[in-house]
Amino acid sequence: MVRTSPTTTGTDRQGGRPADGPPSDIADPGLALAGQPGIAWAERAMPVLGMVRASFAGRLPFAGLTIACCLHVTAETAVLVRALTTGGARVHLAASNPLSTQDDIAAALAAESGVTVQARSGVDRDGYYEHLHRALDSGPDLVMDDGCDLVNTLHEARSELIGGVRGGCEATSSGAARLRRMAAAGSLGFPVVAADVSATRRMIDHKYGTGQSVLDGILRATNTLVAGKTVVVAGFGPCGSGIAERARGLGAQVIVTEVDPVRALGAIMQGFRVMPMRAAAPGAELIITATGSRDVISAAELAALPDGAILANAGHFDVEIDVPAMAGLAIEVNPGVRPNATEYVLADGRRLILLAEGRVVNLVAGEGNPAAAMDTSFAVQALALAWLAGADPEPAGARGRVLDVPAAIDSEVASLAVAALGTRIDELTPEQLAYLDSWRLGS
Amino acid sequence: MPVETVPFKVADLSLADFGRREIRLAEHEMPGLMTVRAEFAESQPLAGARITGSLHMTVQTAVLIETLVALGAEVRWASCNIFSTQDHAAAAVAVGPDGTPDDPRGIPVFAWKGETLEEYWWCTEQALTWPAESRPNMLLDDGGDATLLVHKGAEFEAAGQVPAARDDDPEEWGVILSVLARSLKQAPGKWTATAAEIKGVTEETTTGVHRLYEMAKDGSLRFPAINVNDSVTKSKFDNKYGCRHSLIDGINRATDVLIGGKVAVVCGYGDVGKGCAESLRGQGARVIITEIDPICALQAAMDGYQVARLEDVVASADIFVTATGNFHIITAEHMSQMKHQAIVGNIGHFDNEIDMAGLTRLPGIRRTNIKPQVDEWTFPDGHAVIVLSEGRLLNLGNATGHPSFVMSNSFTNQVIAQVELFTKTDQYPIGVHVLPKHLDEKVARLHLDALGVRLSVLTKEQASYIGVPVDGPYKPDHYRY
Repeated sequence: MVRTSPTTTGTDRQGGRPADGPPSDIADPGLALAGQPGIAWAERAMPVLGMVRASFAGRLPFAGLTIACCLHVTAETAVLVRALTTGGARVHLAASNPLSTQDDIAAALAAESGVTVQARSGVDRDGYYEHLHRALDSGPDLVMDDGCDLVNTLHEARSELIGGVRGGCEATSSGAARLRRMAAAGSLGFPVVAADVSATRRMIDHKYGTGQSVLDGILRATNTLVAGKTVVVAGFGPCGSGIAERARGLGAQVIVTEVDPVRALGAIMQGFRVMPMRAAAPGAELIITATGSRDVISAAELAALPDGAILANAGHFDVEIDVPAMAGLAIEVNPGVRPNATEYVLADGRRLILLAEGRVVNLVAGEGNPAAAMDTSFAVQALALAWLAGADPEPAGARGRVLDVPAAIDSEVASLAVAALGTRIDELTPEQLAYLDSWRLGS
Repeated sequence: MPVETVPFKVADLSLADFGRREIRLAEHEMPGLMTVRAEFAESQPLAGARITGSLHMTVQTAVLIETLVALGAEVRWASCNIFSTQDHAAAAVAVGPDGTPDDPRGIPVFAWKGETLEEYWWCTEQALTWPAESRPNMLLDDGGDATLLVHKGAEFEAAGQVPAARDDDPEEWGVILSVLARSLKQAPGKWTATAAEIKGVTEETTTGVHRLYEMAKDGSLRFPAINVNDSVTKSKFDNKYGCRHSLIDGINRATDVLIGGKVAVVCGYGDVGKGCAESLRGQGARVIITEIDPICALQAAMDGYQVARLEDVVASADIFVTATGNFHIITAEHMSQMKHQAIVGNIGHFDNEIDMAGLTRLPGIRRTNIKPQVDEWTFPDGHAVIVLSEGRLLNLGNATGHPSFVMSNSFTNQVIAQVELFTKTDQYPIGVHVLPKHLDEKVARLHLDALGVRLSVLTKEQASYIGVPVDGPYKPDHYRY
C-alpha cells in the first residue's frame, strides 16, 4: 500500500479544493466479505438510522458534498456511513481510536462506492494522525468527529481547509468540551453541533448503551464475577450513572465518586455510597472511570488499591487512569495476562489489572455500545449534519460556535425510536395545546 | 331461657360499617380464601370445629375468620400483638355480616389496638375460654401464644402450682404467670382438659414454629401441629413480599422521612430481611446487612449489599430494622451510639429484638411520645433516637401489616391446614408437620387467575421425562424455590 505523505498532500492542496482524497489505507482489503455480516447485523438493530437513511434517499441532503468523519470504525459506524452516502455524500472515514478499529468492517466499507477508509487496528500515534490527515485531504464540506481530534487537527495543521467547511458534528462529551474551549478562545472556524447533549442520546446511548457495554467489556476482559464485588464508579454523569446501575444490577456493591454536588446528591438519592476516591480506593475491587477528566486514578490512589484490583476506563480518553504512574510504581508489567488485560506487579507484591491499556474499555474489550444505542446517536448526528448541509444552516452568528442539537431533531429521533419499538403514544388535543400555552387558567 | 349476648370486647362497635367496607375490598384481593369458601360451601368440612385463633386482628384476618365460619367452624378470636388490631376490623367481625352495632351477631373477638400486657393475656385467655362446658378443639396460632398458655396451664396444673416470677424474668412472663395463677384457682383442671380436647394447632409464623419444634423435641408438645409458616406459599410470599410492601409503609406512616439517600441497616437476611432490604433499596436507600449465618451473609453480598457488623455501622446509619427472630439485636448501648434521630424499628415477631427494657432502664433517658407508636428517646447527651411501635413489629404497629393478596396466600394455607388436621386427625400424630406439597401448589394455583397468569401445562411425555405427575407435585420436598 502506497501512502501519501500528509505534509506533501497538504502543500499540494494549497489554493484549491481537491476533487477527492487519497485512497483507503486499511489492514487487509481481503477482509471485505468478512465484514459484511457484521454490518448487516447492525443494520437490523438500527431501525431509526434506517428510517433516516430512507428519508435521505428521497431528499439527498448531501448531494455533491464531501464529509470527513473521524469515528470508531465499527459495524454501527458503517451503517451511519451508508446513510450519509445514500444522502449523496462522499465519505472519508478515519478511525477515532487506534484500538477500536474492526479491520473487517474497514475493508467492507472501503469496498463501497463513495467511501474511503483510513483505519488499521493497532496503529501507533503517528499512524493515527496520518489517517486523520488522509481523511482531511478530501477537503471536506462537513466534518463528523468523535473526540475532536479531527477538528483539532484541521484547525492546527490544515487551517487552509477551514474556509471550505460548512459545519461539523461532534459525538462525545469529551470532544464537545474541547470544542467549547476552542470556541471560547475564538479559535473555532465553523459551527459544530454537539450531539452529546441530545436528550435522546444522553438517555439511550450514554446511560443505557454505555452502561451495558462497559460492563460487557469488563466481563469479556476478565470474566470476573461482579456480584459481591465492591465496584467504584468515578463520575455520575449519564455514563457513570448507567454503569453504576448496571453494576448494581449484577449484584455489586457500588461506590460512586463525584466532584459535582448535584450529581453526588443524585447518586446518594439512588442509594449509592458516595465518597472521595482516596477513601474508596482501599476497598475497590473494580474501578471504572467515567469522568471525562484526567488523573482520576493517580499514583496516590494506585498505592492504596487492594491486591487484585481491576481498573477500567469508560471515558473517551486514556488519561483518566494515570497509566504512566502505574508503570512507574510497577516492578513488573505482564501484558496480555488475558486479552486486553495487563498485570502490574507492585513492589509490595500487590497485583493490579489494567484493562484495555486504560483506553475506553467498552470499545476495546467489548464491541462498543450496542447497535440499538448507537442507532439513536447516529440518527441525531446524521440529521444534525443534514441540517448543517442545508441552504442556510447557520443561525446568525453561529459560525465558530458550538451549537446544541436542535430540539426538532431530538424530537424527531425520539419519535422514530418510539415507533421502532412498536409503541404508540398520545398526541395533545388542540384544547390541551391551548391549555398548556395559556397562563390565564388557574385552579 | 336467658338471653345470651355474644361476649366480646373491642374498642368501638360503631366502626363496624367502615370495617365491613374494608373487608369487602379485601375479599376481592383474597382470591384463595374466597375460592376455598366456594369449594367447601357444600361439604362444610369444619362443622363441629371450635377454633380459638390468636392472630393479628386485621381486615385480612376478618376474611380468614369468616372463611372458617363459612366452612362450618365456630370461632373465638384474640389478636397476637398488643398494637396490631385494626379496631374497625375487630368491630366488623364482632357485629358480623348480618348484625348491626345494636344487634351484634358476629363471632366473639377480644382485641383492640393498644392493649396493656395484662389486657393482652386476658384477651388470649378469653379466646380460649368457651361458653358453658365447651372447650376449643382446634387452635390457630400466630407466634404460639395460645399454644403456650394451654401448655403452661396444663404443665402448672400437673405441678399443682404456678411458680413465682423471678426478678430477672421479662415483664410479660410475670403477667402470664399471674393469669395462670388466677385461672388455676378459679377453674382447676381447665388447661389439662383443653389440651386433651385440642386436635391440633396450625401455626402461622417462624417464631411460633420455632417454639413448636422445641416443644416437640423435649417431648412437651401435647397435640399435633401443622407448620404453616414453612409452606412455600407462606414463607416465601408473606415473609418476603409482604414485608417488602409493609416495612416502608410503616416507616413512611410513622416518620414520613425521605428514605432515598439514607443508610439503612437491616439485621438479618432471611426471607423477611430480603424483602426489607429490597424495598429500602428500591426507595433509594443504601442498605447494609448484618448476619450471623454465612450462607445468608454470602447471599446478601452477592445481591450487592454491604455486609457489616452492627457495631461498625451503628454510628453512621439513619434507619435500623431488625428481622432476625432473635433477641437483643439492637441494645441500649447501640442506640446510645446512633446518630441524632436515627429511626429504629423491628419487623420480627417479638419485641425483644430491640432491647426496649434496657433502653427504659438507662439513667437519664427521656421518652417523648410524638404520636401513637412513634416515640423519641432522648439520651442524657441530648441526642435522640426514634423508636417505632415500642420495638414491636412496625409494619403492623405503624401501618396495616401485609396487604390482602399476600395474606390470602398465608391464610389459604391456614384454612387448608385446619381442614387437614380436623378431618384427618389420625394422619397427623403428635409432632410438627408441614402441609404436603400438592396443597402448597394448590394455594399458589388459586391465586394465579386473579393476576392474569396463564400457567403452561406439561405434556404427558414431558412429565414422564422429568419424572413428575402432570398435575404435580412438581418439586421434591427439599427443593428450595
